[in-house]
Amino acid sequence: MPEIMNPRRSEPVEADPVTARVHDARDGLAALLREAEAARRDRAESIAKGDSAVCAWNHFENIPTFYNWNNRPR
Amino acid sequence: MRGIATVPTYVVMQPTTLCNLDCSYCYLPMRREDRRMPVEVAEAVASAVRPWSAAGRFSVVWHGGEPLAAGREHFAALLRPFGPEVEHHVQTNATLIDEAWCDFFATHDIRVSVSVDGPVARNTDRVNLAGKPAYDRIRRGIDALRGHGLPFSALCVVGRPSPGLATELYAYFLELGCDVLGVNVEELEGVNTRDNRHSAAEVTAFWAELVGAWRRDPRIHLREVEWSLRYVGAVLDGTADDVLPRRLDPIPTVAHDGSVVLLSPELAGFSDPRYGDFTSGNVLTTPLAEILAGAVGTPWIREFLDGVDACRAQCPYFGFCGGAHAANRYFEHGRFDGTVTDHCRNSKIGLLEGVLDHARDHEPTAV
Repeated sequence: MPEIMNPRRSEPVEADPVTARVHDARDGLAALLREAEAARRDRAESIAKGDSAVCAWNHFENIPTFYNWNNRPR
Repeated sequence: MRGIATVPTYVVMQPTTLCNLDCSYCYLPMRREDRRMPVEVAEAVASAVRPWSAAGRFSVVWHGGEPLAAGREHFAALLRPFGPEVEHHVQTNATLIDEAWCDFFATHDIRVSVSVDGPVARNTDRVNLAGKPAYDRIRRGIDALRGHGLPFSALCVVGRPSPGLATELYAYFLELGCDVLGVNVEELEGVNTRDNRHSAAEVTAFWAELVGAWRRDPRIHLREVEWSLRYVGAVLDGTADDVLPRRLDPIPTVAHDGSVVLLSPELAGFSDPRYGDFTSGNVLTTPLAEILAGAVGTPWIREFLDGVDACRAQCPYFGFCGGAHAANRYFEHGRFDGTVTDHCRNSKIGLLEGVLDHARDHEPTAV
């Protein structure tokens, strides 16, 4: 994981401040996204795996049921 | 995302209202009463889900109360009506898991998720009916799962985000050996009326720290990180509009007596002079598909959809969040058409900002 090296950039003024902040963090996010994808491959989530609690990454919308983002029981 | 889907991806079932624990943050009413689900309710649900499970992946989540408190014999009777293509999941406090339950899970191909809040000192809210700590029993149950080689997920409630906590928790769950972890900042909900307001800096720092801890050893599928990265990846790819499902999953919760509450399982068992008991029907008298088709006829749901529209119109986090959850709106605002909740702040806004803070603070250096 890279160390803290860069100062914060100022936030550009755009209609959607959240989207703007995502773009502002693009470089750091790109590295994080690459590592996350590699981690998913290591966890074998990109293929069906019947004995995993995660099952398959392709079933994201229905990962064990407690993980639906729009709402979920606890 | 507009409206409610008429076909769910899963159904939540309450085999019993009883729980053998009395966690101080629990939202469930009637958890000291053992009201068991009759087999007829399971039969009605099984009949309804047959075409859905034939068409695609479909799950039943056995929730509670503590679902294992229903006992293996009754649990098996409730499972029997369902076809083999239906996935079964159980969310359990783990205290009752032993050799026999592990065999039961394996025999019935049930996927297990346990509720534990981290190391023993972080579980002071998880107590038995006598108010005694439950951690030792929780851990024994989880060790039984591990001893049987059964994979499991974990849910962790965080009462107060504080520096160092995220690192401590992630290290604990790595050692625990769960495949999947979900982290819930405690919510003001149901019979839990404890204040859940935290400073934005506090919660953002907690999530940023958790991303850092996860990144050092990402063996666990960490729900909050995965969802956040999915969204930011879509924003960067210009496909953010495709992240949310086209329609809300109705998430029917079928209570012990067959009554159905949609969208927020936490509303089951409550009533309000204005909204009634929040139910949309009962599977013993109306097919579940028919209940779902008429969902917007339930007055509180119409109000909730207005609230989702308001979130969409007003909140820059909507594309990530999809709108405040119904139960959080109700228990925090007393109605369903308000917008941002403390749950939004703690678990959606603070989360996304924490991920962004982490990313900005760890940009790769040029070589």
